[in-house]
Amino acid sequence: MASNDKALSRRRFLRFAAAGLGAASVAGVLAACGAAKPAEDTGAAEATKAPDAPATEATKAPEQGNQAKVELTFWWWDGNGQIWADAYNKLNRSATVKFVNTPYADAHDKLLTSFASGTGAPDIASLEIGRIGGFTAKGGLSDLKAAPFDGGKYEKDMVKYKWTQGSTEDGRLVAMPWDIGPAGVWYRADLMEKLGLPSKPEEVEALISHTKGKKWEDFFALSQQVKEKSGGKVKMVADAATDIYGGALRQGGEGYFEGMKLMIVEKATRPAQLAADYRKQELDANIGWWGADWAAGVKNDAFAGMVIACWMQGGLSRDQPQTAGKWRVVPAPEASYNWGGSFCAIPEQCKNQEMAWDFLTWACCSAEGQNAMFKPTGVFPAYKPAWADPLYDAPQDFFGGQRTFRVWGDIADNVASITRSPYDLQADDIVNAEMAKVMKEGKDPVQAIKDAEDAALKAIEGSTP
Amino acid sequence: MATTTFTVAEQKAQDRRTRRKEAKRNVWAYVFVAPFFFLYSVFGLFPLLYGVFLSFHQWDGISKMKWVGLLNYVKLFTVDDIWWQAIYNTVWLFVVATIPQLLLALILAFIINSGYIRFKDFFRAAYFMPFVASAVAVGILFSSLFGLQYGMFNYFLSFFGIDKIDWLGSALWLKPSIVLVTIWQWTGYSMIIFLAGLQSINPELYEAARVDGADTSDVFWKITMPLMRPVILFQVVTSIIGAMQNFDIPVMLAGGTQSSAPGGTDHAGLTAMMQLYWSAFKYNTGSKSGFGYASAMSFILFFMIVTFSYLYNRANGRNLTED
Repeated sequence: MASNDKALSRRRFLRFAAAGLGAASVAGVLAACGAAKPAEDTGAAEATKAPDAPATEATKAPEQGNQAKVELTFWWWDGNGQIWADAYNKLNRSATVKFVNTPYADAHDKLLTSFASGTGAPDIASLEIGRIGGFTAKGGLSDLKAAPFDGGKYEKDMVKYKWTQGSTEDGRLVAMPWDIGPAGVWYRADLMEKLGLPSKPEEVEALISHTKGKKWEDFFALSQQVKEKSGGKVKMVADAATDIYGGALRQGGEGYFEGMKLMIVEKATRPAQLAADYRKQELDANIGWWGADWAAGVKNDAFAGMVIACWMQGGLSRDQPQTAGKWRVVPAPEASYNWGGSFCAIPEQCKNQEMAWDFLTWACCSAEGQNAMFKPTGVFPAYKPAWADPLYDAPQDFFGGQRTFRVWGDIADNVASITRSPYDLQADDIVNAEMAKVMKEGKDPVQAIKDAEDAALKAIEGSTP
Repeated sequence: MATTTFTVAEQKAQDRRTRRKEAKRNVWAYVFVAPFFFLYSVFGLFPLLYGVFLSFHQWDGISKMKWVGLLNYVKLFTVDDIWWQAIYNTVWLFVVATIPQLLLALILAFIINSGYIRFKDFFRAAYFMPFVASAVAVGILFSSLFGLQYGMFNYFLSFFGIDKIDWLGSALWLKPSIVLVTIWQWTGYSMIIFLAGLQSINPELYEAARVDGADTSDVFWKITMPLMRPVILFQVVTSIIGAMQNFDIPVMLAGGTQSSAPGGTDHAGLTAMMQLYWSAFKYNTGSKSGFGYASAMSFILFFMIVTFSYLYNRANGRNLTED
């Protein structure tokens, strides 16, 4: 009786198990076998032998035969990552690349989580300059100079400051430089012309650019003219906190640290004063960046320019295609500078390190890979040999035929060196919070920057990085 | 004596056999409840206990963990001003957004249930709609509505000669903006729950009260409210939990960008959950951020939720016995 019960329940159990497996399997094959055979018999072998099982289903596990390739995952926060994946997959190397779009807001958090939990990291990860400091100082990323990698040989080809940022203090290279963000003044030639102001790049350069010895005060003067000629309807830029402060600050090197020394007062006081002054004279349109208001501002011609880096081209051509052909670029007042840029890294968790390295070197350390990305997006290579391409002397439609790529290249060669620290983001947010008070509540900029330094010191005191 | 010992042992053996038989008889019951316990221990209990463990450490997620004992809690209670500002904002938003939202939902549910109006189904669906909207859609919608220069709200206000309001930029207006979106998004959900509660009240009670000469306010206070107490209790407790973990809407409206800090001007829109998330994942490095520090924050929040829920429960229970 008892044994009868047991047998019955085991049979029932097997049926449950088979049904469960059937539901979980992608192909319906298993469900059919499961009804006839005990569970042990239904294996992966059954599924792979099935002629209609698509080869792509086995993603990482290599199958018998050489039909299916290893698939590498590549994380980036811009849909344009597909450009690299497509171009690389056409080369038919030993692995294929699958691009995963990880939104910027949580791309680095996701990577951090995968390090903390020891699983889930991509094969190739991208890191942004604002967050790189939090990763290089710790662990989780492979040293690209040690075997099986040979990254050391690319040092001479990369923009110098970028190489330092991707390296650790003990000389390991954990993040390969990818792109840089040479920045300058962008302006709308059509709006300048309409206002009866100089609109040719040479003319504007002569008025405001550091290459002609011009200062921020000269930029203020031009902004004043834009405001007056338009009767206040058009301003030179959207938001002094981003366009003026963001630019002037980065001219002293992006970030508030030098090594581990906090330099907020030294670096931010004058930029904050400039921005506050600009706002006080109502030279900016008072439209915060990166939001719906900003996008509406571009559509409504509320501002005739912006002080930002080359990567803005990608977003603008996608979101504001009506402005294509109307933009021009000249070097910023006072100095060249860099805003943003990224790195590529191979996490230690990556199982196919050599294949990941093949993709990474193709993408970041070859003119072919870098320019495949650069041409459509303006993501400017840190790999200098890529600049030799005739592409860099070609007139750009987006910039109304101006040879802007050469402008970016000249700027990139003259950028002040920058060091990164793990506290970068924290310091950024603390200063931004004080800058908001300056811009929104009229707080004294000198006092605000002092308060920011105090707050930042308090936030990191007693820390052992 | 010896016999007694023997009987006890025998009795015990007998019990064990019964228990085993009992267990065998119920084996399927165990099998069917097992997935919950398995999943709960993996995804619920383990992270919880690990969180306690983490809160005594300083850890950035990558480097080695460092035992710091109660130091994280000590710092949070003594030197971390921003954390307490975030707690203040969170409680403020609960009082000014969640409580009115519950009252509004209750009134709306009462109106819809009252029989005075037509198209009940339409109103029910319309009020519930914001709740099913995705966070991204809501974020895009409200960032265009709240825009300083081109926002719809300021456009409407301009017809009445009212100056532009910097809804999301000024410390004064950020909290009211969050309140507005919270009420917009959650009233419908609360209303549906209240409505379900109202509809479960036996209509005979109302009829009997009418026969006895009760007016609408008598009916509301003497019949509806007492019978709704369990539903209100559920709503208040879940709202306390939800409000203490307030995250999406503040992040949508003041999540910080490349050129602005999370929480907006003066940290006016910074909630406790936001500060926690930023400490764990964004700032990460140092003795006043990282996973350990954030875990300590989460336990402070946890005890606040437990305390508030308990206090409300007690107050509520006492009233019930008075009636």
